[in-house]
Amino acid sequence: MNTKWVGKRVQRIDGPEKVTGELKYMTDYHFDNMVWGKVLRSEYPHAKIKSIDIEAAKNLPGVICVLTHKDIPGFNGFGIVVPDQPVLCSDIVRCTGDAVALAAAETLEIAEQALTLIKVDYEPLEVVADAEYALTDSAPKLHPDGNLHSHVKIKNGNIEEAFEEADIIVENTFFSPRQMHAFIETEGGWGVMDEEGFLTIRCPGQYAYRDRMQIARSLAYNPERIRVISSPIGGAFGGKDEITVQIYLALLAMHTNGRPVKIHLSREESVIAGIKRHPFKVKMKTAAKKDGTLVANQVTAIGDTGAYASLGGAVIALAIEHSCGPYKIPNVDLEGFCVYTNNGIAGAFRGFGVNQVCMGIETHMDMIAEKLGMNPIELRKKNVYHQGEVSSVGHIVKSSVGTYKTLETAENCDLWKNREKYKSEVSEPWKKRGVSLATSFHGIGMGIGLPDYGAATIELLPDGKFLVGVGCEEIGGGNSTVYAQIAAEMLNCDISNIMIVQGDTQRTLDGGTVTASRSTYTGGRAVAAAAPKMTELLIQTAAEMLNLQASRIDIRPNHIAADGQIIPYKSIHKYLYDHHQSARVEGHFYLPKEKEEIKGSGGAPHHLYGYLTHVVMVEVDTLTGETDVLRVVSIPDAGKVMNPQGLEGQAEGGAVMGIGYTLFEDVLIENGYHKTRNFTDYIIPTIRETPLIETFPVEKPEQSGPFGAKGIGEVVMIPIIAAIMSAICDATGARIFHLPATPERVFNALKDLKKQKVQSAR
Amino acid sequence: MLVSQIDMITPSSLSECLNQLSKAGRKHKLIAGGTDAAVRMKEGKWRPEIWINIKNLKELRYIEEREDFIHIGPLTTHTDMIQSQLLQRKADVLVEAAREVGATQMQNMGTIGGNIGTASPAGDTLPALYVLGAMLELTSLTNKRTLPIEEFFTGPGRTVLKENEMITKILIKPQKPNGLGIFQKLGPRKAQSISIVNVAISLTMDNDRKCAEGKIAFGSVAPTIIRARKCESMLTLGQLNEELIQNIAKIAWKEVMPISDGRATATYRRDMASALLERGLYRLIRRWENQ
Ligand SMILES: Cc1cc2nc3c(=O)[nH]c(=O)nc-3n(C[C@H](O)[C@H](O)[C@H](O)COP(=O)(O)OP(=O)(O)OC[C@H]3O[C@@H](n4cnc5c(N)ncnc54)[C@H](O)[C@@H]3O)c2cc1C
Repeated sequence: MNTKWVGKRVQRIDGPEKVTGELKYMTDYHFDNMVWGKVLRSEYPHAKIKSIDIEAAKNLPGVICVLTHKDIPGFNGFGIVVPDQPVLCSDIVRCTGDAVALAAAETLEIAEQALTLIKVDYEPLEVVADAEYALTDSAPKLHPDGNLHSHVKIKNGNIEEAFEEADIIVENTFFSPRQMHAFIETEGGWGVMDEEGFLTIRCPGQYAYRDRMQIARSLAYNPERIRVISSPIGGAFGGKDEITVQIYLALLAMHTNGRPVKIHLSREESVIAGIKRHPFKVKMKTAAKKDGTLVANQVTAIGDTGAYASLGGAVIALAIEHSCGPYKIPNVDLEGFCVYTNNGIAGAFRGFGVNQVCMGIETHMDMIAEKLGMNPIELRKKNVYHQGEVSSVGHIVKSSVGTYKTLETAENCDLWKNREKYKSEVSEPWKKRGVSLATSFHGIGMGIGLPDYGAATIELLPDGKFLVGVGCEEIGGGNSTVYAQIAAEMLNCDISNIMIVQGDTQRTLDGGTVTASRSTYTGGRAVAAAAPKMTELLIQTAAEMLNLQASRIDIRPNHIAADGQIIPYKSIHKYLYDHHQSARVEGHFYLPKEKEEIKGSGGAPHHLYGYLTHVVMVEVDTLTGETDVLRVVSIPDAGKVMNPQGLEGQAEGGAVMGIGYTLFEDVLIENGYHKTRNFTDYIIPTIRETPLIETFPVEKPEQSGPFGAKGIGEVVMIPIIAAIMSAICDATGARIFHLPATPERVFNALKDLKKQKVQSAR
Repeated sequence: MLVSQIDMITPSSLSECLNQLSKAGRKHKLIAGGTDAAVRMKEGKWRPEIWINIKNLKELRYIEEREDFIHIGPLTTHTDMIQSQLLQRKADVLVEAAREVGATQMQNMGTIGGNIGTASPAGDTLPALYVLGAMLELTSLTNKRTLPIEEFFTGPGRTVLKENEMITKILIKPQKPNGLGIFQKLGPRKAQSISIVNVAISLTMDNDRKCAEGKIAFGSVAPTIIRARKCESMLTLGQLNEELIQNIAKIAWKEVMPISDGRATATYRRDMASALLERGLYRLIRRWENQ
């Protein structure tokens, strides 16, 4: 298709104001009459609250209000799926992130002081520090129904028989870290209530309408009288999918006499109270025939969701759905447990459970290849499912599947083809290099059982430009630019004539979350559905104005032409306005879904998946165990690429986040208390850990997507994890099963390897 | 003490500063680049009544060679040291250490006086100063004393500095023409990281691969910096070939007394003392041979 905007390297429309710092994020704002809010967090990871005394805090000069659970007019709980997290704890605290009271004061310092004056009498209870222990009878129950939040199981074929007949079996246990989103803008925002009781909450989030619902539920307040503005966001990655501080802001705003109240978590508070990625323990047993055909996979995954559910159940379900990789394995037995502990709170995070299982299946693919003396790409090519084939979880994949093509591209890329040469070019004699690859996939959209729709509006503005409104927030991924590209393409105008508004319950329609790699696909389709209606409106209006037949009207770039006359869009707006007609159109889109849910899967399968293969080269310092990722090749199947520049941005950011996950990052919690405090000890990659990253998209257009696009926001960080693990092994012979692969872990693995060698030599 | 209650005064000369420091009956503390001070203030650990801001005392910011010593003013920033040709020629180990402090922003703001003043066992310039035989000049309104750097530190964050004193000069011995040094750091990542183990090595070479004299100091493996005297004595045993280097490195773990913390276990730190020494000596020898 010949396009002017779609598929082109269009500069981000929000780029200049972001790189110059001109853009104000919501937590950047200060108002003259503002007050500061602070949240009192629990002292203990697990305790009974015997009493809360706020008198002294209330009497501190400069304090405006101090609130507890007694001040919650509505339901004292939140949570996207099960609202099991108290807004303010009344009887039990289950993690040190739990909120117990709120204070608002004239200055931040006074608010902080007020917190120290709140006397909470606790009776400490036994701490559940380990997910497996949580499942035993001796562990205290953290919630009325026990510590197992959810359980999913997918079983196909006959696993026992398959293992018996297999030629080769690999079996290992994998441990993954509690990764932190580490967004630059910590959780925060503003709340203000006007004289008429209309409440405005400005707080970065990933679904303004759902945030509004959760606020209204706790306030027992008409949602129509609440406005939530949730965009722009200084980073989220899933970490602002759940309620962060919105309800606190709303509660405080009800008690500040109309003064705006601001909460902005310090990094330390964000580490403790913000959700994290679920640490998993994954036991996996994979079997193959001599020719490399995979025959069986058995998986037990235990995810630590911490004190509350948030999206934990969905994370485990998605993990299990993806636990066999993009392969067709006929016999599988896959089981996942989502477990409550007192270890903070885990929830949504880019990859959503797939990271933790991909490292298992892809490591096994390489171990099988090695044992069979087979090329790892050949082994994968042999086992991938193609469009129309049956996946490991047992459904026919009807949407586009690009794995095979990504593997072919990997096979032909410079890094893979010349890997022996690159590997020999070590920078110092005690260093060793390895090159490996891994492939993965990621469902797009919500899966079965949840509403999944997109909606967009396009409004003709008085100056003749168009205002495109999409609920999905600009989370930093660049969806606003994609929406503008689609609108400009379909309205046949210059992109500078497109204005975008996102994430505002007053100005955009409910169009679902900006999660699940869905916003380009879903929001894009909604814009594409609205655009023809706008064209229609322009043509009809022009016809009416000129008293001509609609067929005589031509849409030209930025104006309308008919019978030798030119009508600027400004005039059309004026005509509509003068005639009291709406200048706004809507577009709606329902994300396609599979009809039948796989029994016991908790929402699988998805209709659509994005696919990606990573090739990496690492260099390991065998003296210290330090691993340096030197090169990354990212090969996404994104369907049609809407904006190569945007895709590269995602591919590069995802790769770096994957490097962090594999080599550095973990929020350490001991007996319910955080050992990791802030960025001093939470190590994320800097520019010096950022390698050369090349992005080679393969385009397998997806019929249902806007212009053939799919989503890749999450899969960009997934296979690189397993690829780095294997590259460390390729370099040194040592396999790492416990992430992050810190220098100490790699060094110890090398030490063990040496010991084994000495022993076997004897 | 609340942050908003803390005062700050900015003396315009050293004597005014010493005067301020001599005032008894109040809690004051010097602040230079503030890269440690601001962090610890935020954490609630350092909350004096008054900050004495010395960042602009230009008279304390210099690097000069006089008689047998290189004189470094305490307000010299890490960037100053990295860019100093004098240090590059005659104290390369200190330049390398400064280059490993945080990243560019920290190097621009952070000072050598502050790095010493904080007295962290992981302070990166400290092992380099040890192998360069550094002396510190401590001055109060009424007194001046000079002592070897080894005698300055008494534990993590603890020094012999008195309330009314400040560091006014750092003296180091320039390397000889056939001298060269290296600083090796292992952190959790390449930039903006606190050392898990670090080591400074300074050698004076004879000819070939024969070392006439050498000094080795480890950081982050004990309450203060540790000179590895056993390893040092082995440096001169023969040609610094692979075998000797490995033998020296092998005993390094015996010289250190590390602890386990969130960054690493004691065992790994011990192993790394050996590894960094081995790697440092390989690199030094290669550099020597390429000269
Ligand atoms: C992000 C970050 C990364 C860092 N990375 C590293 C690193 O990799 N390696 C490392 O070693 N350090 C690191 N640091 C710590 C710090 O930057 C250095 O220690 C720096 O040299 C401190 O210098 P300053 O001038 O900022 O000290 P300040 O913070 O101003 O002062 C530090 C202490 O020294 C005292 N002091 C200052 N000047 C004098 C003086 N003339 N006489 C007596 N006492 C004095 C002060 O009273 C205070 O107690 C890092 C800090 C940050 C924030």
